[in-house]
Amino acid sequence: MARVDYKDMITFADDLTGKYKLFEGIDLVPLETYEGMDTRSAWDFKTPMATGYYKPYLIKGSTAIEKITIGELHYMRRAKYCALNMTASDDYDLPIYACEFDESAPRLGITVDLMPIADIAAHPEYREKYLDPLAHDWRKYRTIPGFTEEGRCLLQRRYAPWPWARESLSPYSLDGRVEEPEDRMKVMDAVAAYARVWFELLKKAEPMKDPQYKQEVLIRKRVLQKFYRDRDPGGEVIKKIFGDDKHHLFVSLIF
Amino acid sequence: MADGSKWAPYIEKMQEQLSQLALREIQQDQTAGKTVKAYAADKLAKIAIGDCAIGAEKHIGLCTIFPLENYWLPLFFSFWEEQEKKISFLVDIMPTVDSLVDEPYRIKYFDPIQPMWEKFAHLPGIAPFEDDAVRAVCSIVYTAAVVPVDKEGMRLAALAPHTEYLKSYIDFVKDAPQADGEAKAKEIQRKIKAVKTALRSYVQRQYAGAMHADMIKVFF
Repeated sequence: MARVDYKDMITFADDLTGKYKLFEGIDLVPLETYEGMDTRSAWDFKTPMATGYYKPYLIKGSTAIEKITIGELHYMRRAKYCALNMTASDDYDLPIYACEFDESAPRLGITVDLMPIADIAAHPEYREKYLDPLAHDWRKYRTIPGFTEEGRCLLQRRYAPWPWARESLSPYSLDGRVEEPEDRMKVMDAVAAYARVWFELLKKAEPMKDPQYKQEVLIRKRVLQKFYRDRDPGGEVIKKIFGDDKHHLFVSLIF
Repeated sequence: MADGSKWAPYIEKMQEQLSQLALREIQQDQTAGKTVKAYAADKLAKIAIGDCAIGAEKHIGLCTIFPLENYWLPLFFSFWEEQEKKISFLVDIMPTVDSLVDEPYRIKYFDPIQPMWEKFAHLPGIAPFEDDAVRAVCSIVYTAAVVPVDKEGMRLAALAPHTEYLKSYIDFVKDAPQADGEAKAKEIQRKIKAVKTALRSYVQRQYAGAMHADMIKVFF
């Protein structure tokens, strides 16, 4: 097992914007107020224990976006907690693009998914429209060492201690722990590939028309957001570092 | 099997568990080498179990249990495809509600299965179920694998998740409550129908040549 020094860890946000050119051609504008909160204190933070930012955006001229947040929290120059979240506004039933990416010397922990905001068993057409486009990438990246080991593919097990979180995942989630440096870079390919699928879906997205379906979708979306904001163990770390007030802002931007 | 080994006793071991229920036979389909029987029981609309051989190469087993639609109770699905050198399987207790939103349902039915789910993660060949539409209707505690049979003990090892999940499911049936209100009953009804369609479609796609339509109908 190779250990990775802090200085050699993946530059998550820079790689997505630079190397992968994820937002090329997309006019991102900073989102200063989210759910009544001024977001600017999250744009750049520095404490004795942590530095970093969580910066939310909208897309200029688009009504389909609730937030696109990208961020990194560097903990004592020992570990990085990175996130990319892309959530559509309440008129749209697009899945939530969620990526949680934690890197430390011994390993990288990753979950990337398009989380459905409809019950996909009851609505197979939702799966076909929004999730099946991930099938090719899922099959390609699930073989990354760490996701698959010695003939056992352990996807959807990273959140084993948190069943509420597993409930949020699609059948195409990529999650696990990856150790070798070259395999960590393959994970970034997957993070970018899933984001590109989300942007393609966004291009075709239309507002929901059926009020009953919309109500059902919004109930599930609110439950998802509440669970992650209230229960994600990463939130406890944020609370310890920044206190209760900023905790609520930060976790609301991350999910 | 070509090498003279015996198929795993899928039907026998599953029937042992099912015998805990007061079963009333409601349907049967039997043709050469293929048998499926369906029963009803308290709170359960249909319990179907059967197997068939595809030549000397494959042994297929299926067990489905659908609850009555006015009960707040998951359904049971066990799929078994055995070959000389490998066994592909899926076993699950599948939700009949949105188990993210209906958290008490998850806590009642899936949290108790979690220790088994974690135990069986050590089986060789454990992996997500390959079919996307079926994986989408599975619970968070489904167990699926393509187990390499490099020694005969592996057949029984692969069978263990089926009997243990079924045993738990039967325990759940005993104290399953009725759906709380009309909206919940409608949700259950809609979801059972959708899950049934997904599972039936999978079996049809996989085994249309080996199982005739009447046999598949008995399971679903």
